[in-house]
Amino acid sequence: MSCDNCDEALQNLYLFLDQEIDTASIEDIQDHIDNCSSCLTAYDLERVVKSLVSRSCAEKAPAPLRDKVLFTIRSVHVEVTEKRRTT
Amino acid sequence: MQACAERTQVASTTRLRIGDPHRSRVGWAAMTDIRSDLENTEVEPEPADLDPSTEVDLDAETPEQRQARFEADALPFLDQLYSAGLRMTRSPHDAEDLVQETYAKAFSAFHQFTPGTNLKAWLYRILTNTYINSYRKKQRQPQQITDEIEDWQVAAAEAHTSSGLKSAEMEALEHLPDSDVKDALQQLPDDFRYAVYLADVEGFPYKEIAEIMDTPIGTVMSRLHRGRRMLRELLSDYARDRGMAATGAGDQA
Repeated sequence: MSCDNCDEALQNLYLFLDQEIDTASIEDIQDHIDNCSSCLTAYDLERVVKSLVSRSCAEKAPAPLRDKVLFTIRSVHVEVTEKRRTT
Repeated sequence: MQACAERTQVASTTRLRIGDPHRSRVGWAAMTDIRSDLENTEVEPEPADLDPSTEVDLDAETPEQRQARFEADALPFLDQLYSAGLRMTRSPHDAEDLVQETYAKAFSAFHQFTPGTNLKAWLYRILTNTYINSYRKKQRQPQQITDEIEDWQVAAAEAHTSSGLKSAEMEALEHLPDSDVKDALQQLPDDFRYAVYLADVEGFPYKEIAEIMDTPIGTVMSRLHRGRRMLRELLSDYARDRGMAATGAGDQA
């Protein structure tokens, strides 16, 4: 079932999913995968994996971290201003 | 920078020349796309395509103003940087330390950051460097392995999925719990995992991933390719196991 169009579609699979190719190629590939079930399956699979990663990795920073970061920034700031005053 | 200075100059001369501020406001508002929250402030020539946050006169900015700008602009990325830190260090404690160090470094270097350019990518770059310098050394893992991953592993992954997933398995894949996905990610070599993370979670373009990871774009693409293949194989295994568990013994989850 493999043909030149399949090869091209599969080669560009990640570029397509990551939106790293030009619009003309996107249309070509879209046309192909709309009509080729094996390529469509390959694309769907990669799309699912990509969305799984993005869904699973969004963590919330622990609340105290925000305060710690602010504290760090402000102490750096104090150091800088004190240095400026002494020079 | 130069554009910024010119703009300030134009703005001040405009203000000096124009007697009726209402007239000028109408004029500029009609010509440009001034946001409603800016309409009542001082009227300045406002090119529509210029982000308001780029209007920073770095020379005139006081340390207090710079600190406020840093907190306002950089702190919203806290959750994202923490998530990335967690994927890198694999430990909540280390991730917190890494993020704190990152913010401290970023703030110290903030005067070097060009307003209007990509702050998120800049912060990620600092996070990555901090991780490489402080944590990788500490972990003492043989990191060189990443670009020498045996091709048989890639080939195995290829053969594995070419058999195709049955639709039930595809469905099981879609419903995999987050813990399985994180677990699978953790099994990838560092550089592969991070490239996949930056592309899939943060949606960075390849060019920015290349800058953040300080490698050529070709290397980014190869890491993404290999990382995703390995990940796909691992996740398919989880999905198959869970699919079989679901269809096999009904009450056995």
